Amino acid sequence: MTALCVVLAAASARSDEPPAGQAAETPGRPIPTADDYAFFESRIRPLLVEHCHECHSRQAETPQAGLLLDNADGIARGGDSGPAVVPGRPDDSLLIQAVRYTHELVQMPPAGQLPEAAIAELAAWVERGAPFPPTTGPDLSSAGQPVAGQPIDIEQGKQFWSFRPLVEVPPAPAAGQAWIERRIDAYLMATMQTSGLSPSPRADRRTLIRRASFDLVGLPPTPEEIEAFVRDDSPDAYARLIERLLASPHYGERWGRYWLDLVRYCDVPEPWAGSGAAWLYRDWIVDALNRDLPYDRFVTLQLAADHVPDARVEDIAALGFLGLSPTYWKELKLAPGVIQVVVAEEWEERVNTLTSTLLGVTVACARCHDHKFDPVAQHDYYALAGVLASTRLVPRPLLPAGEAAGLLATLDELRTMQAQVDKLLAQNPVPPEDKTKADELKAQIKALRKATPAIDEPLAFAVDDASVHVLPDGPHRTMVEYRAGQAQDVPLHIRGNPLNPGDVVPRRFLAVLSQGTPEPFQHGSGRLDLAQAIFDDAAPLAARVMVNRVWRHHFGRGLVETPSNFGAQGDRPTHPELLDDLAARFIAGGWSLKWLHREIMLSAAWRQQSTPHADGQAVDPDNRHLWRMNRRRLEVEAWRDAMLAACDSLDRSIGGPPAELNEPANRRRTIYGTVKRRELADLLRLYDFPDPTAHSPARLPTTTPLQQLYVLNSPFIGRQAELLAARLQSERPADTKAQVSRAHQLLFGREPTVGEVTIAREFLAQAGEAGGEPSAVAEAWRQYLEVLLASNELMFID
Amino acid sequence: MIHPSPPISDPLAAAGISRREALSRLGGGLGTLSLATLLAADAGGAVHATHFAPRAKRVIQLFMNGGPFQADLFDPKPAINQYAGQRPDTVNLRTENATGGLMPVPFAFTPSGSSGLPVSDLLPNFQRVIDDVCVLRSLHTDNPNHGPALFMMNNGTIIPTRPSMGSWFLYGLGTENENLPGYVVLCPGRPVRFAELWTSAFLPGEHQGTYINHSQLDPRQMISFLRHASREPSVQSRQIELLKRLEQERSLGRAGDDALDARLRAMEVAFRMQFAATDAFQLEAEPAAVREEYGEGHFANACLLARRLSERGVRFVQVYYGNGQPWDTHTNHNEQTKKLCADIDRPMAALLMDLKRRGLLADTLVIWGGEFGRTPVSEGGDGRDHNHFGFTMWLAGGGVRGGMAYGATDEFGFRAVENRLHIHDLHATILHLLGLDHERLTYRYAGRDFRLTDVYGRVVPDILA
Repeated sequence: MTALCVVLAAASARSDEPPAGQAAETPGRPIPTADDYAFFESRIRPLLVEHCHECHSRQAETPQAGLLLDNADGIARGGDSGPAVVPGRPDDSLLIQAVRYTHELVQMPPAGQLPEAAIAELAAWVERGAPFPPTTGPDLSSAGQPVAGQPIDIEQGKQFWSFRPLVEVPPAPAAGQAWIERRIDAYLMATMQTSGLSPSPRADRRTLIRRASFDLVGLPPTPEEIEAFVRDDSPDAYARLIERLLASPHYGERWGRYWLDLVRYCDVPEPWAGSGAAWLYRDWIVDALNRDLPYDRFVTLQLAADHVPDARVEDIAALGFLGLSPTYWKELKLAPGVIQVVVAEEWEERVNTLTSTLLGVTVACARCHDHKFDPVAQHDYYALAGVLASTRLVPRPLLPAGEAAGLLATLDELRTMQAQVDKLLAQNPVPPEDKTKADELKAQIKALRKATPAIDEPLAFAVDDASVHVLPDGPHRTMVEYRAGQAQDVPLHIRGNPLNPGDVVPRRFLAVLSQGTPEPFQHGSGRLDLAQAIFDDAAPLAARVMVNRVWRHHFGRGLVETPSNFGAQGDRPTHPELLDDLAARFIAGGWSLKWLHREIMLSAAWRQQSTPHADGQAVDPDNRHLWRMNRRRLEVEAWRDAMLAACDSLDRSIGGPPAELNEPANRRRTIYGTVKRRELADLLRLYDFPDPTAHSPARLPTTTPLQQLYVLNSPFIGRQAELLAARLQSERPADTKAQVSRAHQLLFGREPTVGEVTIAREFLAQAGEAGGEPSAVAEAWRQYLEVLLASNELMFID
Repeated sequence: MIHPSPPISDPLAAAGISRREALSRLGGGLGTLSLATLLAADAGGAVHATHFAPRAKRVIQLFMNGGPFQADLFDPKPAINQYAGQRPDTVNLRTENATGGLMPVPFAFTPSGSSGLPVSDLLPNFQRVIDDVCVLRSLHTDNPNHGPALFMMNNGTIIPTRPSMGSWFLYGLGTENENLPGYVVLCPGRPVRFAELWTSAFLPGEHQGTYINHSQLDPRQMISFLRHASREPSVQSRQIELLKRLEQERSLGRAGDDALDARLRAMEVAFRMQFAATDAFQLEAEPAAVREEYGEGHFANACLLARRLSERGVRFVQVYYGNGQPWDTHTNHNEQTKKLCADIDRPMAALLMDLKRRGLLADTLVIWGGEFGRTPVSEGGDGRDHNHFGFTMWLAGGGVRGGMAYGATDEFGFRAVENRLHIHDLHATILHLLGLDHERLTYRYAGRDFRLTDVYGRVVPDILA
């Protein structure tokens, strides 16, 4: 009988009552008659079954919009947008508006309008009070929300491995103590032993210095550096090598580029994003890493340098993290609703980049509904979206606040004046008096520029606090208004649709990562509060995520192989105690990344050979236990830089504006190659450089013939071979064997084998060296050296 | 000499990723596909197993960038002329720009073929092939602005962050001919939004489209780095021999490494690609009669190139009609349309006939259309504005029923009203024809399984042959 009561109640809402949720308590309409039910069964149910149930019934795989039209309760309760019918009032019923295609958002069925007669019958049914015959069978009272599922249990959620506090479990004592150099090794040894594995022998000195150099500075060691290291007998030779590399200004270039992948850095953003010097952000990152700025400070400045009391003026550049966010075209001739959708997409991208990069939590999955796998509610998403809805992308000079404001005002003024000049001169012909006026303005512009000392200061892509509002601008246009200095909370978007707003959600941190109930953010947009919450409440997770990223770059494989997803859908750590131990010590040591590199690189594990041994291969071919080092493929930056370095043409200058990579004469390190968000340079496009429109958790290396066409035919490779040939000829004149040897030292950091020398001699002789004619000799060497540049040994690190 | 090698079939090995790693990395979303893919890769084939038997093995898309007007070409609406100058309520729809009254269509239609489908007299040659064509009259999309609409058509979303349709094809199907790129984009210039339209986004980079500007017909000019500026192939062949000898010398006594071997194989394929691609792009190789049939101009050349690439196993050839957005006729619409149609009519018809003669039409899907349509009401007196409410595309070959029209717009051709087809539905149907289930072709990124069709899309059974 329960079902019947619900039906009767639903059908009996008084027409002057608000329908939502009230239906069950407001009797007063006549009880449906048998005739009503007959009408329903003969005219309405078939319509619903044929046109609606595919998406709106309990049989539907995923009931759309949470709406069920196969039972009375579902109809009364409605879906995300509220009740489907207002009994007795067809014109006010969403269902009828939808089938009439008169509702702004909902037009059903999507494949096309129902015949007019069918629409009229549905309206007549609602007019009758939307009678729905009682159903026998199970209670359906909970069937209306099959999608929503259970509300998220935060306390339960906090038990997930990555959300728990760090637990320091000392490594189990294991045999093989002699092998162990650092705590890392003790953990690895323990798990190796339980699997019957043993570690690999230490790599030789040549391999180690090459590995360490590429790992820390992304450049090959010079033959002289190699020889010095090989001959250094002092017990701390290796530790000193690591210190030397960590102190190199090229360290920041190597590791800065990894960071730039995460934050989808580009030099040239969308054409409407305004002009500025994106590289100020890139250089800030490089410099901060070189200074070993603690990681918590490194991130806090990137999120909120403008709110950090003791930030330096230069730190405004750090705001490029958000300041270089992708923006999507907003056609202001379109309706506000269309633009709101575009703005909502921008928030999603920013929430995704922030939370994936810093926390390894995919919060953006909760834009349309609670996260399906992780304890992240839709409210959590909008709590963070509010921060971004209160943050504006703006150019900012690296000047003290007062001067900066002055400069921006002057730049505004100059723009206005220039626009006036352009307008005056656009006339055809230009009246003489306007010509005079334009000349006067030009003179004023010149004077004003001269009087403004900082006029040529590059502007950083940065942010400030301002709430964004999408508003109608007259009947046919839209405007996007920013209210400077203001912050706002945004309403939850039901099903992710900004045109269907729900409760307003205060800006705050993710509940599952908060200690206690998360407090609303207090300072402006909340960017600083967010950074503080990440390094206070969520410090364990933030540390685990960053430690894992660094580990992954050193070993070629993460302790967690999904570096931006530490949630339920991500991988579990292969060595949880090791990860927690490193993360805890990373925090205790003041979030020092250089400490972390040292800790990893001084381990015995990192110093193993990469050659597999048969025992290990049999038990653990994927090397999850790290019983050997992984052989790793160089990223495109290190590969290109290595070629330039070996051929002696690398420009090692640090920082500054980018240079076009498609230009074969470009000799700068690859990190300084121009990255255009909308069109990557050939080299980057071919070699797995991540798309700078979105966060990249990790590069996906591919091997393609188009890459090898580049090797075969690009002017860049040809040019490097030519430069290298010239270098060999000048350093080891007229001595084939010495030149072959030098080429191997420069490119691979080792002497050639006897076999390699023989093969080289044969090839060179055949290719024209034998005749001794200088241009033929040069060509033979170019051909030979191109092959060495194409070698796997130049792209893979043992 | 270079000896044939097994194709580069295993992107995972090439990436130095083990199978188990790949499965765990890509997550469960790949489901049976991933396993099938991996097995196919083991067998040395580059073609992936599909979810079910494919009707089409390759796709050619003729992209009328800018957006043609449906009622000029395939969706006759006499009511437009009947109510010329008026603005009935039905056409009070908001598009990008302010519009006025109904602007008459000065072009006549002829019932064509044995199906009798009406085709504009602007397309006399195309009228002759209409029985192979399935006209979709009820497309609609989300946004009447070029960028978002181009992204919706290409990437299934209004923002430029998702993989393009062609990248999904390659990801799902693999390549039939590793000597050519699997996804080729032809344009005698640069379409608006350019490379974002064929991006692989978060899919592996090998699935991105290869853009070719064919305004110069020398193959060496078309593909970056296709040929060396001066080096003879015989020299390159000796260089590759040297490379192989040196790699062998270095690997003595060491276990094989898939990643290293894959790179060596890729070098051999690249060497062959120089000739295979040069040959594929060599229009001069076509008999005069065929050149004549397609006619002259960039679009004719692109259609003929598309056929040459398709018959060589290129999965997806996307032809953008021209630089910028030539079909974007905000002013002087009728005159521009006449010229544009004169340019596309013959090549389009020739392409379908040529494919049919060669037995390729049966498993080659041809798609025609813009990113949206245009308004029946005028913009500024002689132009037509963007229209995302309703527009026409057509499909031919590849398992679709010819000689039929599907769906309908309202009496003025403004809004799709019957059997409405969203772009997601079009994508779902195209994937279906390729043997792929749009709900199962997924890729794990940022914590969830992405699809070309997002959470939408339905296959339209009515148009399948």
